[in-house]
Amino acid sequence: MVTMNTLIQNILVVIALVFAIIFIVRKFIWKPTKSKKACGGDDGCGCH
Amino acid sequence: MSKQINVALIGNPNTGKTSVFNSLTGLNQKVGNYPGITVEKKQGVCKLPRGVKAHIIDLPGTYSLNASSLDESVVIELLLNKNDKDFPDVAVVVSDVENLKRNLLLFTQIKDLEIPTILVINMADRMRYKGISLDIDHLEERLNTRVALISTRKNEGIDHLKNLITNYKDISVTPCLDTSEIDKEYFDNLRKAFPNQLVYKLWLVITQDVNFGKIDRNEIDAIANFKTKSKADLKRLQQKETIKRYQFINSVLKNGQTIDASQAKDLRTKLDRVLTHKVWGYFIFFIILLTIFQAIYDWSSVPMDFIDSIFASLSEWVKDTLPSGVFTNLLAEGIIPGLGGIVIFIPQIAFLFLFISVLEESGYMSRVVFLMDRIMRRFGLSGKSVVPLISGTACAIPAIMATRNIESWKERLITILVTPFTTCSARLPVYLIIISLVIPEGRFFGLGYQALTLMLLYLIGFGAAIISAYILNKILKIKSKTFFVIEMPNYKLPLFKNVVLTVVEKTKSFVFGAGKIILAISILLWVLASYGPGPEFNDAEAIVKKEYASQNLSEDELQRKISSQKLEYSFIGITGRAIEPAIRPLGYDWKIGIAIVSSFAAREVFVGTLATIYSVGSDEEETIKNRMAGEVNPILGGPLFTFASGVSLLLFYAFAMQCMSTLAIVKRETNSWKWPTLQLIIMSSFAYVVALLAFQLLK
Repeated sequence: MVTMNTLIQNILVVIALVFAIIFIVRKFIWKPTKSKKACGGDDGCGCH
Repeated sequence: MSKQINVALIGNPNTGKTSVFNSLTGLNQKVGNYPGITVEKKQGVCKLPRGVKAHIIDLPGTYSLNASSLDESVVIELLLNKNDKDFPDVAVVVSDVENLKRNLLLFTQIKDLEIPTILVINMADRMRYKGISLDIDHLEERLNTRVALISTRKNEGIDHLKNLITNYKDISVTPCLDTSEIDKEYFDNLRKAFPNQLVYKLWLVITQDVNFGKIDRNEIDAIANFKTKSKADLKRLQQKETIKRYQFINSVLKNGQTIDASQAKDLRTKLDRVLTHKVWGYFIFFIILLTIFQAIYDWSSVPMDFIDSIFASLSEWVKDTLPSGVFTNLLAEGIIPGLGGIVIFIPQIAFLFLFISVLEESGYMSRVVFLMDRIMRRFGLSGKSVVPLISGTACAIPAIMATRNIESWKERLITILVTPFTTCSARLPVYLIIISLVIPEGRFFGLGYQALTLMLLYLIGFGAAIISAYILNKILKIKSKTFFVIEMPNYKLPLFKNVVLTVVEKTKSFVFGAGKIILAISILLWVLASYGPGPEFNDAEAIVKKEYASQNLSEDELQRKISSQKLEYSFIGITGRAIEPAIRPLGYDWKIGIAIVSSFAAREVFVGTLATIYSVGSDEEETIKNRMAGEVNPILGGPLFTFASGVSLLLFYAFAMQCMSTLAIVKRETNSWKWPTLQLIIMSSFAYVVALLAFQLLK
């Protein structure tokens, strides 16, 4: 039987994984277009 | 309610503009880019007297408003566009006390745009060394503005400057020069054609093709009753304008500034003679490099070991404290080791940037650029290419952006293509961990082998860049010419505040920028390493117990075999083993293969990936280095990280194009996929061949 702890831990892993995938996709594969009037943010070059 | 005003900091390069910016804003600053282009935009907030808040924008250094590079055009575009949200209420022109005459050219141009303009004369502490005295009242009267004599080094005059900014409305906006003096008839016609516009603004638009609201040069040409001049005539008028301005400046300085050369106590000439000497100059530079690399190792070892043990203990603590389960495992085996893999390098990265910052602040870096120009010319590069190549030691991306001030397209393209060979800070973690595993700790004439290896890798990167430049110069059939002009700033003691801000900002951006990527990739890798298809993964425990039933294995050994079986048949294990045939000749196993593939996103991910992969299924409190040192070569037996495989890996990372962001920026700068594609194929193939040769020869 699946305990509450196992269920919560699995949910947390799935959430972490979804966030990680979204971050990687947005960073390297598909970037949402920015408004030209925006200042460019504090990480314009996308590097480290 | 407090009021906010926009302040633009403008000035020639090397006038200490950034020091003024730091003095005004402290840590309340952020760095970004101008929209649509890659010129750095620094902004900050400063609290002024009477509750006034200033939004300060540090504009790129420019010698005049006659733009010749993208950086300079940014300044002009902002000053001409009243609708821009950053359009300044007041301009602060920073000048250097030793080059006041040249600096005043820009000041008079900005003042003529009818923006309240304050003149800041910086480096006042150097006046007595140079025998300079100033009559500030006379300067204020003739320039029709307020003058702040300051010294950012001694933190003098900053409060006075803040007061002047607060009271900017009291500053006269009367121009210094009557623009129509340049060509009366022409400017009269211009005034008639555009009665509502400021003539000097129109003149800048006409001569520089910059956008000015809705009026651009083509529209000016299109107005029938106004005929502009040919490019040659406009150039002649621009020269006339410059002459007129200098005549005015000379008349102002005649009574406003006195220079008594006999009072000067100048060390600069003596130092320059040695530091830019054709033999001693290179020798001293080499000694400085050696010292830096040795210090990076010697000073960092204690804090690095401390950080490494902290992360190992943290993983253990999480496992022991939190309820057991998959998320606890993700934290202990994926996220914490992955992040530890990058945090551990903070001391070394901070020391590297500390030294670079001190060299830049002291004025020595400009001498290096001058010195290296002699070498660069022989390889078809411009002296200006040295700046991107040196900046490349931090990150190839801003370095590639810095090529924009190279006028010749051929030299710029070559510089863009070879800059990724220079050893960027992202390669540093890879080098450091591999060097610590495969290079002995002994010393040679007081210099550690490990430090020498690191320096050699930097020299290999630089050598690869200039040799590739030489080849590209012969292959590329593009005709263009350029010249090299560099300003040698005065030697000065680095400002502690500036050095600290640079080190903090660079280290922070490295750790946070890389940290986010590593965190995401660590999660992904942990999931891929912890789950797998088929019975080999799902029934791993039963399979291993059956296989080793006859052998009397301890519980620990059995658990290790089960973890190993699971990892091998996990999603990541299957992928790794698929690519293993291609990397085995280089001396790598599938785990290194996975680290190489994932580090294509960013090189520093390599260490985090290995840390995550080696941590999966491990119950022991071990440091990243120990885990890697304990890895066994599955084919040959013995340690996986030997001298041969280590050198092969170091050379692979020295030459391979393992950075998606760099490829993206090369595409943007060359406006074509051709160059980044060629760069990727050539660099990666070359890296593979060199790594293959290294392993096969050394094994």
